[in-house]
Amino acid sequence: MDNVIAESRDVTLLEILDRVLDKGVVISGDIIISLAEVDLIYVGLKVLISSVETMERLRGAPFAGAMEEPT
Amino acid sequence: MTGMNIYAYAIIDSIVQFDDCITGMEGKIVFNIPYRDIGVVVSKFGEKIQNVTKDHVLKHEEVVEKLMRRFTVLPIRFLTQFSHEEDVLLMMQAFYNDFRENLDRVRNKVEFGVKIIWSGVKVNNHTMVACRKSDTSIRFLGSSPSRSFVKEKFEKYKAHKEFGEEVERYVSLIDDFFSRFAVEKKLEKLKTDKLLLAASYLVEKERQEDFKDAFKRARKTLGDLKFLLSGPWPPYNFVVLSRKTDMYDKKSPCWNISSEGEI
Amino acid sequence: MTMDRVVETDFPQDFVEEIEKVQGALPGRIDANPQNVERGLAKLVLTLVELIRKLLEKQAMRRIDAGSLTEEEIERVGETLMRLENKIHELKVIFGLEDEELNINLGPLGDLM
Repeated sequence: MDNVIAESRDVTLLEILDRVLDKGVVISGDIIISLAEVDLIYVGLKVLISSVETMERLRGAPFAGAMEEPT
Repeated sequence: MTGMNIYAYAIIDSIVQFDDCITGMEGKIVFNIPYRDIGVVVSKFGEKIQNVTKDHVLKHEEVVEKLMRRFTVLPIRFLTQFSHEEDVLLMMQAFYNDFRENLDRVRNKVEFGVKIIWSGVKVNNHTMVACRKSDTSIRFLGSSPSRSFVKEKFEKYKAHKEFGEEVERYVSLIDDFFSRFAVEKKLEKLKTDKLLLAASYLVEKERQEDFKDAFKRARKTLGDLKFLLSGPWPPYNFVVLSRKTDMYDKKSPCWNISSEGEI
Repeated sequence: MTMDRVVETDFPQDFVEEIEKVQGALPGRIDANPQNVERGLAKLVLTLVELIRKLLEKQAMRRIDAGSLTEEEIERVGETLMRLENKIHELKVIFGLEDEELNINLGPLGDLM
């Protein structure tokens, strides 16, 4: 596993991460489908987004103690 | 159909299939799934991507930028994956109007990022000293605890206000160099004490060089500031979706209040 | 892997430091391990009270700045704000929140305060 934290100290990578991690087309697991602007169906898409942990690792953000995610 | 994973890179303004092979993450081929007159560019994986590293990030960005050379693109957030093809189409159906509108808006345009660091702390101290010197004491005669309390609060308030005005002045000064070459902009002021400005500008492709020249001029003129320019990027900061998204964003602590240890 | 894109600066490390602060800042506020519902509710309520306190304080400062409060009013306002601030602090201590910043992340709208 790469030492992503050390590698993150590159300004180009950080500029990329700044955009790619939470900008652009951002879609969650749920959408509302409508016809003629009337909201009809509420759909749970099977959209897999990485966990917050993965994103933090890529950003090189430290794991604060309070961050233990319950399993 | 278990174990299928469709990884999405971007929405493009085209239904064509790619003649040449574009390889995406983990060596998988990148192809276009058309929907009406637009498409979503994806790769198929056997299962969810394991051990995400910076190489995945770089590869993702590389694919999007390659697409940007030939098409109008709306970049999709990193690691957006679908486990059913139907879901991809449902997504396209739900967001078609948004995508269509955004594609039309960003056609032939690129994003540039400008970041500015200043010696913010020095400026703030100077402002506070200036405020202390001004005649706040007249308004606060007497020395009861509540008066001292208010006096202190007021001094802080004034300093904060002056500081805010200074920030506005600087940002406006900087923005003046760039905004005339941009069709849209997004300015974030003081994200940290030192990061005076983090700006994104949507610039027409033909005006790229003008924009870069403006950067050089700004950097030369405002010598006491530190400048960063990045780009051209796909229009990450200029995609606007009207529908509710990210309802279950794990970053939002609101969801933790009533839960009993989940999320 | 040739890119048209450039990242140009004379101060890469300064920017690395600041951008990392920005990117690291968000997750820090997550209380990922709420022990009990009550504490969560208390935090929410106190956050809102704190918001109101801040708004009242700001409004008072504006009026003092504009010169529209009398000496006596300033005295009374000061007294009230002081007591309110102390009270909130007391409550924070009672609920074990004194080291925490009372704030709510509103997602795309940013932080409440």
